[in-house]
Amino acid sequence: MIDTYLFFGLALLSVLGALGLILFRHPMNGAMSFVVTLISLAGLYALLSAKLIFAIQLIVYAGAIMSLILFIIMFLNIQEEDLPVDTARWFYLAGGIVLLAPVAGLLLKIVESLPGEAEPLTEAGFGGVKQVGLVLFQQWLLPFEIVSILLLVALVGAVVLAGKRG
Amino acid sequence: MIEHYLSLSVLLFCLGVLGVISRRNVFVVFMSIELMLNAANLGFVAVARLHQSMDGHVLALMVMAVAAAEAALALAVVILLHKHKGNLDTNIFSLLKG
Repeated sequence: MIDTYLFFGLALLSVLGALGLILFRHPMNGAMSFVVTLISLAGLYALLSAKLIFAIQLIVYAGAIMSLILFIIMFLNIQEEDLPVDTARWFYLAGGIVLLAPVAGLLLKIVESLPGEAEPLTEAGFGGVKQVGLVLFQQWLLPFEIVSILLLVALVGAVVLAGKRG
Repeated sequence: MIEHYLSLSVLLFCLGVLGVISRRNVFVVFMSIELMLNAANLGFVAVARLHQSMDGHVLALMVMAVAAAEAALALAVVILLHKHKGNLDTNIFSLLKG
């Protein structure tokens, strides 16, 4: 029972944070409200008993990536007059809703018709470090190595792009 | 219960798409893309719980790694753009046209 209340509270928070992200004018305000979305998503992962993903969502997403974005926003020292004029914002928003409504309706119908219901967990330690690590390093070893190359390339690329003088 | 999680994932993804099409600020567009990645992650984890298999968690980890790489590169590009043009308008990216 309590997890239903928790789910709806966290879902409401995450949707409100996402709305704030697309409606606030200054990116600083948008970033702060996006942090709310990320933290409530971490809570939802915990409700789904994904313990490792919960911790990594908090540390990597809400911690590292968002502090990087906030750091850059503050570093660029954006004033009110530097912001692009979003005159056609409401027009695009209404058009986007009209375009997306049928797609979202179709997806929600598909979701409703999914078979099966989540059974209570039988094995202990579902989503823990050990279990996820076993799957990661046995069945997903090659993608894991490729991701490490991707991160290296991104690191070198960021240094090359942002470190240029001139 | 799982279908509620998947519905929330659909809703968050649509909000991310709306942010990308309605805003012209580079930061907001970038964070909307991150929002779409997070919505996909929520879907992966929910389906992993439904099937009681850990593969969805591993996929979510991969998505997070890709998001981190994307964040580093996109912010470097934004810094370059701001240095050259002193602006944050996505329309500036039209200079990439041939």
